[in-house]
Amino acid sequence: MAGMDEENIWVTQSRNGDHAAFESLIREHQGMIHALTYRMTGSLADARDLTQETFIRAFRQLATFRGEAKFSSWLCRIAVNACLNWRARESRRTEIHRRWSDENLEAGAGGESSRVLPDQTSARVQAALNRLPAKQRAALILTVYEELSLEEAARVLQCTTATAGWRVFAARAKLKQWLQPRRNDDE
Amino acid sequence: MNDPELNAILKAARLPESATDTWEDIPRTVLAEIRRDSRTGRPSAWRRRRLSWGFALATAAALLAFTLGYWRGHAPGPDVLQDAKFLRETLALFPHQVRAIVKDEQGVSLVLSDTGDVPASPPLYVRICDGRQCVSAVTFSGQEIQIAGRRVTVLADPRGGIILEGHDFIWSNTRPELAGNDLKIQAHRLDAVRL
Repeated sequence: MAGMDEENIWVTQSRNGDHAAFESLIREHQGMIHALTYRMTGSLADARDLTQETFIRAFRQLATFRGEAKFSSWLCRIAVNACLNWRARESRRTEIHRRWSDENLEAGAGGESSRVLPDQTSARVQAALNRLPAKQRAALILTVYEELSLEEAARVLQCTTATAGWRVFAARAKLKQWLQPRRNDDE
Repeated sequence: MNDPELNAILKAARLPESATDTWEDIPRTVLAEIRRDSRTGRPSAWRRRRLSWGFALATAAALLAFTLGYWRGHAPGPDVLQDAKFLRETLALFPHQVRAIVKDEQGVSLVLSDTGDVPASPPLYVRICDGRQCVSAVTFSGQEIQIAGRRVTVLADPRGGIILEGHDFIWSNTRPELAGNDLKIQAHRLDAVRL
């Protein structure tokens, strides 16, 4: 993993049009952005597209990055916005999320979607994430998986801390209900 | 289930393995795109999309001015936002673009999404009075709108529950006493306005 100083150098060089430096930034952060976009969409193909879109937008907007936030937080903001504007594939998203819920949350794991994930818990959790409203899902993913504070998540989501807190609270309340252990889990 | 138990379940969820070429394919595709931008020197695809949306929105604004002018001239009634025909026609004119139709002392205005990403859902009627003015709006679940000088997020569930969330208040139609200030709020679904 690169240090902050090295990353700042890559950012400065990228701003000056150095594509090799930007490639270093992509390689440093693509895993984190791909994980975030996957948890937001539940689709590996769309996660790959959205990760690419995130870095393309980031390069075009590099002039607006002032270094007040961490570069990774700035990338998260672009990625979350890309996911929230995931309209071009809306019908596909609806279908994916409906299928996920049907197969993995209510009827139990074992459906087609669950086979891409390594285990039943992972499939159930992703199915539950897919069912959340997008902004609540984003707030939860940033605070649980990216381990951002509510203040940092609010900056990424461009809302107040109170709003971010409310979204996380609402998301957690639903997830607690949907992810209750099934009776046969104990058997 | 408590918070630590939920966290444990969430953290236990692993990601699927990506195809082996993913980590090479992403940088290659991104760099090809940004090299294409710098070679052509043209506005980027992103900027071109924004320009085309700008043109579309300018056209839409002209159409809207005409539509609202027509309706005002024909006096559809004291609360145009409860007029199902007006709402249906306006929503049909801008599919997936209407974030809110707001009525205040200045008249009726339309808040459009510049990305056309408003999901189809039953319209919601919202009215907020703060002692100085009353503002009403028709909007949709999940939208964040500016109403009565406040930024308000509107959320609805399939059972008819509606929550309004602002910077300094939270209101629910099932527990309106939780508004927490002197706002008078009404909200309900407009089931007659299905498209």
